[in-house]
Amino acid sequence: MAELLQYLITGLAVGMVYSLIGLGFVVVWKSSGVANLALGAIVLISSWFTYGMLVQAGLPLWLGFPLVILFALVLGWVIERFALRPLIAQPILSLITVTLGLAYFIEGLVNFIWPWSVDALPRLFPTEPIRIGLAVVSQEYIWVASISLVMFGLLTLFFRYHKMGIAMRATADDQLAVQACGIPVTKIFSMSWMFACVVAAVGGILISSIGGITYGLVETGLKSFSVVILGGLDSFIGAIIAGPIIGLAESLGGGYLSPYIWAGVKDIIPFIIIIIVIIIRPYGLFGEERIERI
Amino acid sequence: MSLPTGTRDYTYAEDMAIIRTKTQWALFTGFLIFLFTTPLYLGNYWLGVANLIGITIIAATGLNILVGYCGQLSIGHAGFIAVGAYTAAILTNRLELPFLVGLICAGLTAGAIGLIFGIPSVRVKGFYLAITTIAAQFIIIWVINHWQVTGGFVGIKVPYASIGGFVFRTEASQFYLIMTIVVLCIFFAKNLARTKVGRAFIAIRDNDLAAQVMGINLFRYKLLAFFIGCFLAGIAGSLLAHWIGFLNAEQFSLTESILYIGMIIIGGLGTTLGPILGVTFLRLLQQVLTMEVVPFLESTVALPAGFASGVTPMLFGLVIILFLILEPRGLAHRWTLFKSSYRLWPFSY
Repeated sequence: MAELLQYLITGLAVGMVYSLIGLGFVVVWKSSGVANLALGAIVLISSWFTYGMLVQAGLPLWLGFPLVILFALVLGWVIERFALRPLIAQPILSLITVTLGLAYFIEGLVNFIWPWSVDALPRLFPTEPIRIGLAVVSQEYIWVASISLVMFGLLTLFFRYHKMGIAMRATADDQLAVQACGIPVTKIFSMSWMFACVVAAVGGILISSIGGITYGLVETGLKSFSVVILGGLDSFIGAIIAGPIIGLAESLGGGYLSPYIWAGVKDIIPFIIIIIVIIIRPYGLFGEERIERI
Repeated sequence: MSLPTGTRDYTYAEDMAIIRTKTQWALFTGFLIFLFTTPLYLGNYWLGVANLIGITIIAATGLNILVGYCGQLSIGHAGFIAVGAYTAAILTNRLELPFLVGLICAGLTAGAIGLIFGIPSVRVKGFYLAITTIAAQFIIIWVINHWQVTGGFVGIKVPYASIGGFVFRTEASQFYLIMTIVVLCIFFAKNLARTKVGRAFIAIRDNDLAAQVMGINLFRYKLLAFFIGCFLAGIAGSLLAHWIGFLNAEQFSLTESILYIGMIIIGGLGTTLGPILGVTFLRLLQQVLTMEVVPFLESTVALPAGFASGVTPMLFGLVIILFLILEPRGLAHRWTLFKSSYRLWPFSY
């Protein structure tokens, strides 16, 4: 029982981070129709940048964290401006492969600057375990879950009430109409990339504050694809709901299936979910089913 | 038209021939002779590079049929190569079957696994398919790492290839083996594109709904594309296994898959020449960078520690991005441009 509760809590917390990263994907996909496969690499490089700020430069948290956000903003702008903007209206194949190229480049950059490839972030949250009922859970997970929840709240408010958020939703709906209203669509594109990078950075910091910075962060980014596939590529709600589902499946499956199958089954559960969802219900739980015409 | 003036056809067979003029025949024979005498004037080191290039060309040709002709994006190609490599390794090492049986079985197994992961392609395309194949890559590698038979994390040894008692032990003998298969594969790919199947692939790539309306069975042809693409990947995997002699799942990572996509993009999608040029370009770049440039720079200038491991992927990523932006039709297109301007010289435009 205690075990179950523990799995539930860690699964939910990690799943919420997946949602957060997945949201960044959804925003870019909705506004510009680009599938961002470089998500994992962006998570990786922003975690390393955090490491660089907090550990190598020794900055305090209140200064280091805004710098990381600033870095993510710049990264998003640069990616959109120099890699994606020249490819507007190209076939989807080019749009997907250019993000693969980006992923390759960013991973090389990380290797270049931080060649030792594994390290730990300083503890951001208190680590004393706390008791919830029978379960003993590291406090970090609670912190991560609540920070993710706060982020969801902020993002919902942003998309609902802020002028830019409304413009982004409008772009997702109809690019031509938005352009006719005088909203610069290219600016929205770069906004959405900056947004995606920021949430990926926050997600990366949360994940790596628990598990350390490893190459596995790229996989974390890829796992959040299972979130968007399950939730539906063009649905914010879908991403928020599907994240905890994936997280739970991962932690419960990893906890209870490992003795029966080979160890490490945890790592591929999200990928198996991807295949099942794509075969059964490709547009996801909340996605819009597209009917194609010639 | 890409023919000199005065070339006439008297039969349909002549019209359809790939090699049309005497000059082309002469160049083609000359090239084949040059290719198969290469071991005479290349050292062992460069023969090894050529072998790697040959193996990669086979795999990239398969991927090109899948992505370039049929338009089904697959980012799990290294996974399918791994399936072929491990099948060959298990059959020849653990069961001690002959090399040729291993080779064919490697192709068939990889093709069968490709069919399984290709099934979603009937319903989805674009990003969804890309994600499915990434998932396939991870699942395949995970199974290889955890299954007893494959040797797991430890890896597995593979004996040298041998046909009828002759053992391909030296780089030069392996060169002949690999290049023969490369030539056969390219011949197959070139002709496949001109058949009914190839035309169906191209129709599916350009618009799959329209192709379906025209009476092309999407299910059959998409799966066929997956089978052929992964079959060639399996063949390449088998050759790779026998060439390296030792397998470990690390050799078939996701980055390798991305590199294969990069190769066919740089070479030019949907051309037979594309994979050859792209593979040669990227593999040579890789070799020269890691073996010549980086050691040279390290011995002359003080470099940061991550330079050696970081600069190659960075440059590859950059090359892929730049090609997509500046020359999306790849090196094959540049080659066509060069040929036409050469033919019209001195009045090229």
